[in-house]
Amino acid sequence: MAQQLAMVIDAAKCIDCKGCVAACKVANNVPEGQFRNWIKHAEYRAVPGISDNGVRFQPGACMHCENPTCVAACPTGATYKDFDTGEVVIDASLCIGCGNCIPACPYHARYRNEVTRKADKCNYCPERRAAGLQPACVDTCPTKARVFGDINDPTSAAGALFLKNKERLTRVTAKTNTLPNMYYLGDPGPGDWGGEAVVPASMVAMQESAPFIKGIVALSGLGVLAMLGRQLFAGSGSDHKEDTDA
Amino acid sequence: MSRRDFFRASGLVAAGAVGGPALLGGLTKARAASPAKPAWDSRFSACDMCFNKCGLIARVEDGVITKLDPNPKFLKSRGMLCARGNAGLAQVYDPDRLKHPLLRKGARGEGKWQRIPWDEALDMAAQKMAEVREKYTPCGHLFTAGSDLQSQFVGRFAEVYGSFNVTSHESLCLVSGSRAFLDTFGEVPFADVLNSKYILMVGANRFEALVTPDSIDLMTTIRENGCKLVTLDPRYTKTAALSHEWYPVRPGTDMAFMLALAHVIINEKLFDPQWIADKTFGIEQLTAHVQRYTPGFAAEQCGIPAEDIARIARELAAAAPSSMVYPGRRTSDYEDSTQIRRSFAIVNGLLGNWDRPGGLLAARQVGLKGVPYDAPWYDENREDRIDAGKVPMMFEHEGSFVVTRDSVLNDDPYPIRGWFIYKTNPMGTAPNRKKTIEMMNKMDFVTVVDIAMSDTAWMADLVLPSQSYLERKDPCSGLQGSVACACVVKRDPVIDPLYESRPLFDIMKDIAGRMELGEFFDFTLDEYREKQTREIPEALGVMDRDGVYYNPSKVYGIYDGRIYKTLSKKVELYNQRYEQMGLDPLPEYTPPAGPAKNQFRMVIGRNAMITQSSTANNALLHQFLPTNTLWLNPEAAGRLGIKDGDLVEVTSPVGRQELKAEVTDRIRPDTVFMLSGYNTLSTMQHLSHNNGASINELLDDDFDAITGNASMHTTFVTVTRKVA
Ligand code: SF4
Ligand code: SF4
Ligand code: SF4
Repeated sequence: MAQQLAMVIDAAKCIDCKGCVAACKVANNVPEGQFRNWIKHAEYRAVPGISDNGVRFQPGACMHCENPTCVAACPTGATYKDFDTGEVVIDASLCIGCGNCIPACPYHARYRNEVTRKADKCNYCPERRAAGLQPACVDTCPTKARVFGDINDPTSAAGALFLKNKERLTRVTAKTNTLPNMYYLGDPGPGDWGGEAVVPASMVAMQESAPFIKGIVALSGLGVLAMLGRQLFAGSGSDHKEDTDA
Repeated sequence: MSRRDFFRASGLVAAGAVGGPALLGGLTKARAASPAKPAWDSRFSACDMCFNKCGLIARVEDGVITKLDPNPKFLKSRGMLCARGNAGLAQVYDPDRLKHPLLRKGARGEGKWQRIPWDEALDMAAQKMAEVREKYTPCGHLFTAGSDLQSQFVGRFAEVYGSFNVTSHESLCLVSGSRAFLDTFGEVPFADVLNSKYILMVGANRFEALVTPDSIDLMTTIRENGCKLVTLDPRYTKTAALSHEWYPVRPGTDMAFMLALAHVIINEKLFDPQWIADKTFGIEQLTAHVQRYTPGFAAEQCGIPAEDIARIARELAAAAPSSMVYPGRRTSDYEDSTQIRRSFAIVNGLLGNWDRPGGLLAARQVGLKGVPYDAPWYDENREDRIDAGKVPMMFEHEGSFVVTRDSVLNDDPYPIRGWFIYKTNPMGTAPNRKKTIEMMNKMDFVTVVDIAMSDTAWMADLVLPSQSYLERKDPCSGLQGSVACACVVKRDPVIDPLYESRPLFDIMKDIAGRMELGEFFDFTLDEYREKQTREIPEALGVMDRDGVYYNPSKVYGIYDGRIYKTLSKKVELYNQRYEQMGLDPLPEYTPPAGPAKNQFRMVIGRNAMITQSSTANNALLHQFLPTNTLWLNPEAAGRLGIKDGDLVEVTSPVGRQELKAEVTDRIRPDTVFMLSGYNTLSTMQHLSHNNGASINELLDDDFDAITGNASMHTTFVTVTRKVA
């Protein structure tokens, strides 16, 4: 079975210390005021006495979805799903910074990096993994609420946790269900914040605002247009896999 | 064909490669399976963003630190690094850092500085210190240092210079708690949080004010070991939110709660009679003493239902000895804070949890040794410290900052006119900032060694730039942490020092050399470390390999067959020494004053992003906590016509500040709260200057009657909406 890299998170352990957010910012040079990951919580009321234990701090980041609407929205192929590892990748060299993918993510996991002017989001820290390290947020977490790895590999920490808790795993469900690969053990707290994926209705507007793309489109002719059109319709459906023949 | 292949074929790839990073690099899948040689060097160090000293690994590329990671072998910090730890880079590379020695030009605090060469600066420091000693005797000079690994050299310098007047940060923080536990058990304990079955957290906020390993173990034990957590706090902190039970205790009534717990445990005979008979002193006196402190009495005082108090007492006792009243750290709260903490210690005494799993642990053998020296004798010197005898049980090596400050202001009993400060910021951490300014103004010469222009440096005469923890070599240090470890750490430079910064050790050595005290600093740090580790010769090598050395010493049962270091040689429920000194041998509860109409009690506290005044100017942490706010309950806010986000004016008997209100039910209606560290006077702290409010400008400077610990919860303030 191919890998499926994912995060398995015990939100009940998160203390909202923001260690993971700080670590991610440093590890990935995330510009001031921008973030690749987050901690969400519902408005909670301070009720004296015995707690119903409802307060949850919910760590999150790009969920490297099964059905990534961001991929569908990307006109250049810069954003793609790597079916060997299950990651949703942004190839910066292909990203033209058009920003289509940003509203296309129902979890607001993407942003336009102010410095590079390209789309950015969690990439599971590939440089660190190449060096045998855990992603920065996972490594630094005091309570180890964040666990990362291949959930198809029962010998990995994430895989073991995933299999052992299969019954009680939950996902945050957005209005557009992208089947996120971020699994929470039990109640993750706020589950209603995911929105609707807004995939651009027309590539025409995009073409006009991006002369670079226009040039490329002219260069490669009708094939590109046909491909873009196909992507638009197929991309947000569940049969998106046919889009790739990897 | 995938879109990617299509684009590659169509030439977009080449176009992309022009503007982007190496395309092949971008396409190559990074796999966790085969670690490649990383782009960075990895070097061990220990964090210095707070006092915990968590083990870290600095990733260094081309002489620049690019990331700080936790050292997985560092058990005390459980292989983690918090947000502050991660923000260490922002401290080292802070553009506001001090870069070269600065000499004050204008009036104190005016901010006019002249850059001078190091030689001139050291000559001047030595000459001014000599002058002060000449004119006012050696005790005419005060020395103050934070809890840094090099701070011991300030103590050494003060002693060879001849001054007894040494203060640390501790009397603004925890000395009353240390005193109380020391006077009950004979030493200050470590809490075995990880193995506890029931933890009562009162006056501590362990999920926000991170202490390793307790903060982390607390989560592990409540989620994985079924430990129950009950929190008392006027604020609904994150600790409160994640607890099984939370009670918004009326500020200042914790002792009533503790005495009521003792009342129930004793009257219902819920203690282990054998343990109480063998190991404790004073159960009869305590039994008589707590009769009047019924749960009903406590309920009225604390605002917590009597049946809950009784139930918590029974639950604690049922889980004993693996249960505890968590000792907590910041015990600078009231004028009877030592007695308040004594009541905590006494309940622990009743639970019989000393030296046992899940209870309070004695200090373990770390293996490090001190490096002794013979200080010279000065005939002309004073007999004692300036703050001597003003409170009965001060800690000699910590002093009392607020008592010392009053003494200095009154020349009582003698004048102090010189002040040397290393890496602590009393201007930003001591209550009643105006008094600290006055104290500064009294000085002939103030020298500050720090990495940033703190408010204390801002008021000095001479400011010397020191090296950050990642640029210097430090002595070894022994750390304790519950069952986690008794370990030794050291720091070696991970990068070359920036600017003209120098380590405190060199500065002390150079000043000593200029004052004919050179013989006391006649060694290198390597030689010093060798001496410290003379009984654990393998330690230095192990630290080079792992970043930490563990001493495999005993954890539990350290006191088996050993006597307690108290007068009765037992756990002192009743303190005989206090009795001899005319202090209450058992804690007597005095109801705290309530706020007058339209006033609020101001409380202090922490969150996980803040270390007193040293993080508000950190560019990374600033993104999480851009300013401080005044927490105000909706009920009170409604009465005052204040809406969330309104600018409010806060007035106390000693000062006035403005900041935005945060209207929240996470605080009691009679209490307000703000974080420390903001609104610095120093304009050379760009992010914290003119930003939010300074809490130490507002806090009144009362102190604990036994130890002289500042009492930070005794100030009442009025809050009004600021009309634009
Ligand atoms: S849709 Fe959002 S969360 Fe899902 S892979 Fe794309 S960016 Fe990540
Ligand atoms: S895996 Fe890396 S990029 Fe993703 S949120 Fe964690 S630290 Fe950030
Ligand atoms: S580091 Fe861990 S505990 Fe802290 S906020 Fe992130 S996920 Fe939560």
